[in-house]
Amino acid sequence: MLVLEQYLLMRHELLLTLITLIILVAEISLKGENSHQLRLFSIILFFIVTVIGFIPIQEGNLFGGMYQTSGLIVLMKNILNIGVLIVFIQSYTWLGKEENKIKASEFFLLILSTLIGMNFMISSGDFLMFYIGLELATIPIAALAAYERHKTKSAEAGIKLILSSSLSTGIMLYGISMIYGTTGSIYFKEVAEAFSANNLQTLAFIFFFTGMAFKISIVPFHLWTADVYEGAPINVASYLSVISKGAAVFIFIIIMFTVFRTVTGMWQNALYITTVLTMTVGNLFAIRQKNLKRFLAFSSISQAGFIFLGIIGGNKLGMTSVVYFILVYIFSNLGAFGVVSAIANKTGKENVDDYNGLYSTNPMLSLVMTLALFSLAGIPPFAGFFGKFFLFTAAAEQGFYILVLIGVLNTIISLYYYLLIVKAMFINKSDIAIEHFKSDFYTRLGLIICVAGIFVIGFASPIFEYISSLSFGI
Amino acid sequence: MIFLFYLLSGVALLSALMVVFSRSPINSVIHLIICFLAIAGHYILLNAQFLAVVHIIVYTGAIMVLFLFVIMLLNLNKENEPHKKLYTKLAAIISGGMLLLVLTGAVKSVALIPFNEKFDSQIGLVGNFGKILFNEFMLPFEASSVLFLSAIIGAMILGKKEKITNNE
Amino acid sequence: MTEGIPLNYFLILSTLMFFIGIYGFLTRRNLITILMSVELILNSVNINFVAFNNYLYPDRLQGHFFTLFIIAVAAAEAAVAIAIIINIYRNFKSINVEDANEMKY
Repeated sequence: MLVLEQYLLMRHELLLTLITLIILVAEISLKGENSHQLRLFSIILFFIVTVIGFIPIQEGNLFGGMYQTSGLIVLMKNILNIGVLIVFIQSYTWLGKEENKIKASEFFLLILSTLIGMNFMISSGDFLMFYIGLELATIPIAALAAYERHKTKSAEAGIKLILSSSLSTGIMLYGISMIYGTTGSIYFKEVAEAFSANNLQTLAFIFFFTGMAFKISIVPFHLWTADVYEGAPINVASYLSVISKGAAVFIFIIIMFTVFRTVTGMWQNALYITTVLTMTVGNLFAIRQKNLKRFLAFSSISQAGFIFLGIIGGNKLGMTSVVYFILVYIFSNLGAFGVVSAIANKTGKENVDDYNGLYSTNPMLSLVMTLALFSLAGIPPFAGFFGKFFLFTAAAEQGFYILVLIGVLNTIISLYYYLLIVKAMFINKSDIAIEHFKSDFYTRLGLIICVAGIFVIGFASPIFEYISSLSFGI
Repeated sequence: MIFLFYLLSGVALLSALMVVFSRSPINSVIHLIICFLAIAGHYILLNAQFLAVVHIIVYTGAIMVLFLFVIMLLNLNKENEPHKKLYTKLAAIISGGMLLLVLTGAVKSVALIPFNEKFDSQIGLVGNFGKILFNEFMLPFEASSVLFLSAIIGAMILGKKEKITNNE
Repeated sequence: MTEGIPLNYFLILSTLMFFIGIYGFLTRRNLITILMSVELILNSVNINFVAFNNYLYPDRLQGHFFTLFIIAVAAAEAAVAIAIIINIYRNFKSINVEDANEMKY
């Protein structure tokens, strides 16, 4: 029987389920009235859950090993929680629009249920929980991508997301079924012991990897990304690019380092090729994008390539730097998306050309954007620089020098296109520059948290040391 | 028994092919239902009686009826669907066929040792299933309830009436 | 009940069905048929799980339960996908892939 202490182990999921139900009941009993209070109420509830998540507890397994938790897993969940909190704050204004008011609380409900799915996924100790968590993290997102019903692009994004994700889960499940057939178990621990990379198992791994690559949007499985990001509402796109991707990377690195730890040679080959492709193709396509959402989509693809640099080595430093990089990436990408969303909410403009001369009219917004882009590009002394630096070090430690070289070259390319946007904002002149406007409190709060995060994480070494004390290598 | 297997497999594969090749969506759905019934037959062969019943109820009874309903609701039963270009099909066949070869090769190359203990025909029945579901598989069961809740909410916001209706 | 049928027969059946599903996914243009192809893929996975469970590891019912949950999740997925398809139909008056293709590189 479970006792209270054991329930405490899964407090993230239980609390999230609880507040999901509270918001659902509140929404039903208010019948769409007081949308403003309900939104604020949801954010405050989630803030409380985020804070409670930081209370340290012991490690442990539940349900016969189906659910596992450790300091690292709790940290990953907390990182995701912080990201979701920022997304909530940023979407407050957007949800207040007349056409979205009536379904504002559904946005919170769906995001929270995907977060429950991600938490279950990260904590999963077997492939069944992993699968259910993954689906729970994907299906509501597709509904959210089609959220703006009066826009054709939004519906298109929704269908593209759900079809490509269901295909990828189908392929992944085929792999899992073969892993089950050859090892006789769906539990991570037992699979890890029985896995030996014979023909069928290698093939099973490739299927599994393909499915994961779809979720993290690794080249050549990235084709859905840009369309979905462009069509979906900006706040949903930012959620997809930061939280969904972060959660998928977390579970991917856990599975690689535990389940497939005996066959590193097999997956390093797969990772090597996809890393090179992802960084390069993501960068090259990002250069030619005119729409900022598509631009950020391709930039996030190439960032995923850099993240893989930390996974490929299979060492402790790699895991530390991946978790650290995701933390930095959450703040910098959400900063960039926050500015895009603030401007699109006011003016509806989201093309690079529209940003010409932004500095002269909206200096604060363009400074935040510059900061976020510099951090994404990895310019010192911002947090992104340290994130990338550690990733490169982790790969170099294991002797992947050519890969690191390609990574550095790609960083330089990425610098070029990030600076293109900075140039548009600061140097280009425009007669039809976006007029000066005052952002409301929530937009500002979201951006301030992002900026603070970029600075604090970059200069506070205890964070990196803390992650390092929790992570493990093969 | 092998005869039954050949029969069911033949029906399943042929109707699966018809799903993919028939031009009208209604025909596809009907063939898919036949295919699912054949697969349910396989489950009974494989000693999974409960799964066979669930499969028929959920897939054939719920999902396929939903498909059929939507096709009729949207009045889609026209046979005017343009098929994709030849090279798309050719690429699909070649890449799919190569993977098929690799897979069958891999399946044949690995010796999977069958389990040789006494055969228990009661293993796939509902009583046994329920006991295990509420012991070992408790957590996935509860987690999938959240999944259904979110799927309901997700389907609901897509159908909810908005105050502003401006079709672009 | 499976005397005389080798396990490989079931695996080959599921492999064939998997590729019929993939082929349908790649070549069809009607969104509902694409969804049906996905169901075919999931069913091939289910056959795999049940066959492996029954032949190799009948002492634990993990494969059966995986199948059970795949069926359940597929139902939820199909419901949301169909809701989106109806939305697409409202916006585009068609559910062909080519028409729902506003965004390109």
